[in-house]
Amino acid sequence: MSLSQALSSAIAGLKVNQSSLALVAANVANADTPGYVRKIVNQAATTGNNTGIGVAISSIQRELDQYVQRQLRVENAGASYADTRAHMYQQLQSVYGQPGSANALETVYNNFTSALQALSTSPDDNAARSAVISTAQLLAQQLNQMTGSIQTLRGNAELDIADSVTKANEAMSQIAKLNKQISSSTSVDSATTTLMDQRDSYIDQLSQLMDINVVQNGNNQVSVFTNSGVQLVGAQAGKLSFDAQGTMTAASRWSADPSQRTVGTLTLTSPNGGSIDLVQSKSIRSGQIAADLQMRDQDLVQAQSQLDAIAAGMASALSNKTTTGSAVPSGLQNGFEVDIGNLSAGNTITVNYTDSLTHTARTMTLVRVNDSSALPLAGSATAGANSKVVGIDFSGGMSSVLTQINAALANTGMVASNPIGNTLRILDDGAGNIVDVNSLSTTTTATSLSGGSAEMPFFMDGSQTYSGSISVLGSQSLGFAGRITVNGALLSDPSKLVAYQASTSAGDSTRPNFIYQQLTGTSQTFSADTGIGGGGSSFSGSITTFLRQVISQQGEAASSATNLQQGQDVVLSSLQQRFSDGSSVNVDQEMTNLLNLQNSYAANARVLSAVNDMFTTLMKM
Amino acid sequence: MSVSAIGSQSALAIQQLISMRAQFDDLQRQLSTGQKSNTYSGLGLDRGVTVSLNAQLSAIGGYDSSISNVTTRINIMNTALTRMSAIGSTVKSAMVQASTTGSGGGPSLTQQTAQSSLDELLGLLNTQAGDRYLFSGRATDQPAVGTMDQILNGTGTQAGLKQLISERNQADLGANGLGRLTIVRAPINTVTVAEDSVSPFGFKLASVSSTLTHGTVAGPTGSPQSLSIRFVGGVPNAGDTMTLRFNLPDGTSQNLTMTATTDSPPGANEFTIGASAGATAANLQSALTTSVGKLAGSSLTAASAVKASNDFFDADSNNPPQRVAGPPFATATGMTAGSAANTVIWYTGEAGSDPASSTATARIDPSLTVSYGARANEDAIRNMVQNIATLAAVTVSPNDPNAADLSNALNQRLTANMSEPAGTQTITDIETGLATAQSSLKAATSRHQQTSATLSDFLQQVQGVSNEQVGTELLTLQTRMQASMQTTAMLFQTSLVNYLPHA
Repeated sequence: MSLSQALSSAIAGLKVNQSSLALVAANVANADTPGYVRKIVNQAATTGNNTGIGVAISSIQRELDQYVQRQLRVENAGASYADTRAHMYQQLQSVYGQPGSANALETVYNNFTSALQALSTSPDDNAARSAVISTAQLLAQQLNQMTGSIQTLRGNAELDIADSVTKANEAMSQIAKLNKQISSSTSVDSATTTLMDQRDSYIDQLSQLMDINVVQNGNNQVSVFTNSGVQLVGAQAGKLSFDAQGTMTAASRWSADPSQRTVGTLTLTSPNGGSIDLVQSKSIRSGQIAADLQMRDQDLVQAQSQLDAIAAGMASALSNKTTTGSAVPSGLQNGFEVDIGNLSAGNTITVNYTDSLTHTARTMTLVRVNDSSALPLAGSATAGANSKVVGIDFSGGMSSVLTQINAALANTGMVASNPIGNTLRILDDGAGNIVDVNSLSTTTTATSLSGGSAEMPFFMDGSQTYSGSISVLGSQSLGFAGRITVNGALLSDPSKLVAYQASTSAGDSTRPNFIYQQLTGTSQTFSADTGIGGGGSSFSGSITTFLRQVISQQGEAASSATNLQQGQDVVLSSLQQRFSDGSSVNVDQEMTNLLNLQNSYAANARVLSAVNDMFTTLMKM
Repeated sequence: MSVSAIGSQSALAIQQLISMRAQFDDLQRQLSTGQKSNTYSGLGLDRGVTVSLNAQLSAIGGYDSSISNVTTRINIMNTALTRMSAIGSTVKSAMVQASTTGSGGGPSLTQQTAQSSLDELLGLLNTQAGDRYLFSGRATDQPAVGTMDQILNGTGTQAGLKQLISERNQADLGANGLGRLTIVRAPINTVTVAEDSVSPFGFKLASVSSTLTHGTVAGPTGSPQSLSIRFVGGVPNAGDTMTLRFNLPDGTSQNLTMTATTDSPPGANEFTIGASAGATAANLQSALTTSVGKLAGSSLTAASAVKASNDFFDADSNNPPQRVAGPPFATATGMTAGSAANTVIWYTGEAGSDPASSTATARIDPSLTVSYGARANEDAIRNMVQNIATLAAVTVSPNDPNAADLSNALNQRLTANMSEPAGTQTITDIETGLATAQSSLKAATSRHQQTSATLSDFLQQVQGVSNEQVGTELLTLQTRMQASMQTTAMLFQTSLVNYLPHA
């Protein structure tokens, strides 16, 4: 023990004080820096000869609650998922217009039906006729424009994914780079902790984009996985790629088959070269990317199919004509026959029969198909769910049609024949009595404006008639809302709104009454794709009722997306609060430390000056 | 949106401030627009109801405008029908006066009345509501009837009513003016009255009876029909009679009674008893010829005109009028269908076989339709037009010796036809039908008013806001925000930094 010992202890104290002061200065300076974690000095007494002979800084410590940090990252993904969906749903809501306003779909539809009411009261009135035409055009344009908006939203989701992928790649490569830098430093000094702060901030960024799981290894290294277990960053970063498509139409769909896929997909190429389709493996379940995928492939697709169903419902309600077959007893066999010559692609033949063994009434729907590659049809090909659906390829003529129908009827006991021309006859089994044919009918699409009946092709698919035909590309209803127009022939001759044949009087309200009734009263079946029926079943009701369900369902979805977002925000905010309570800089605390350090510095300096005095005294001796 | 904490300041406090500000903005929007939300999602669980309510309100609006449209039309129709009834009465009373005065000037005055009445009647039938002809059935874009000039006189190529009457007149009277009858004496004590051909024209022999002493009557028999009066073994006594009964083209019958007299020359409808049966027969033949000729000039001419007029008016675009096959008309033996090219078709509206009222219907309620259509060729209207037109078309020359009888015969027939016999449709029937529709319309209107008020109320509850409530909420929120901002500001000021001694 000596004076010089005291001197060096005091100097060590001063040095530690200076370092601590520097850290306080850094803490105060970074008090408002996002992601900055408060640092504290770990100091330890140095000893020699069993006596404390000084003080030294052992390490710099980040004040961090890792449990909260982990929670925070999970909720970060959830919150940005909820946020993105809520924002997109709000945009989707604006597509439906302000409730009751002039540009709301319901108002435009109601204007159309009001014009029809006026027309059926004054069928001869030219003003009433043009009002019907112009309101119908507005309705068609509204559906076109809504389709455009929904597809733009899908396109936005697609571009948003592309941006997110760029951001994620940047974050992933930075994490890998920082991992390497941190591993190269041997001690935890202030430079290392700053690097760790940076790495945390990149991980936080990544956690907003997707749901990730961060695993801390030895030597301050981290690995990042998706929650589903795919590794994103290890020693090296994987690379995400996304082939964003420039144009988005209602027909653009994701498919596992790359030749059918018309929207982008997300591929992860791992450092060792293997690649995995993250959309197909459903690896991303939360975060902004998952929200964008969900909107692009599910929610917006459903919104579109609802509009398509409205458009298809309107077109079919006005153009479809049901012809009931006539009864033809033939010996012991009973049955019906009907002309199937004027079926368009997508039109149907419906057979109602009773299985006499079980006394069950059944329906079989035969759908005309012109494209044999579309066969066999899915059970959901027609809107009605409770019937067996069989596609019949008409391209081979009546004999081929008959063969296919008999194949479809096989095992039912019924038999089809072609007595003459285009007549289809279906008979039961006669004496066997295991099946009874109850009725046979066809649904055909009117293609002429003056075909002698009230049915008419009021709405068209561009320049084609809409008959709901099914080809290998899908149903004609796909994206129909974007293409629906008022029949051009009707625009040039509005008198056809009344004249269903050449001799129709100007004041004949048959057709206007029919149109109004079909659009407001008559019940129709809407496909299960629209999600309105609930539980994958179809929905039956008038178009007005369906519209109500659509608005209800979309409103509810948007509202619950907003509720989810608000809930997530509260959770995230309180977690952030907890996290920052522990890790952020409290200026008051730092000031208190500053006072302490000042005092301690003064005390050390006092020791130094005392030692100095003592040495002076010693020298004067 | 979640907020990252800045420094040690409470993220939650800032989040609260932001959400309060958003709430404030929303309340302000509610106050200025009066709408609870500008999206369906913001309307809450009743958002679906608003769609139904709006649809229902729009439908009611449509029904209401239909109702006011239809009410106007029915009112106009009622005015026209009321006036038609009045015209009928005027013409009837004019005919009664003419037949009682019986002077030569009378008929032409009646005819003038008939012409002006017909003109007005046709004008009424072409009544329009807006651009819509109300009495044309479904062909609401076409006038219901032609003009009076067209109907009476025809056009360049199409025959009018007057021509049809004239043709029929020729066919009914025949060349000799005896109503297509021949009256001959052969053998010498027998008078035979025979139809000249099998045809629908002229007098049709119905029966013959007599109280003639020494006279026997036979027939009518054969084809064409004939009957005979034979004097055998003497001559009749003065005052003995014989009666011929004729069926006329319009469905009426006429008796001609000839009385035996010793006067020479005999009076009207009398024949002088000659010295022998043959001489008496000769007298009877000559007297009969005169009487039948007179009858042909009056009753038959009137009946012929009524029949021709009936054929002319019993027509529409699907069924052109029946006309006498000819020329020559005096010897015609049958009718032939005219065509739109050669005959005026008076009713130019839509001709269907369904009830006229069903030609115009209006839906005034989801489950209720009213029918208020009319056609100018409905029985009641056609009957009136037909009779007045006949009166207007038949000119009775004052020089005609049969003028008074003809005018009388015509007026009698037309008056009878216009008196709306029981079981036929009358103008009042049409008016009653319209009145029923009108009362349905009134009932529906008041029902709609109530429903619409209730629905609008409900819609306002779902979509709208109460200004008082929003105002109160705004004030409360303002107070809370001010307090919250104040405390936040205070929190920011309390920092140790401010209290450290300055060096």
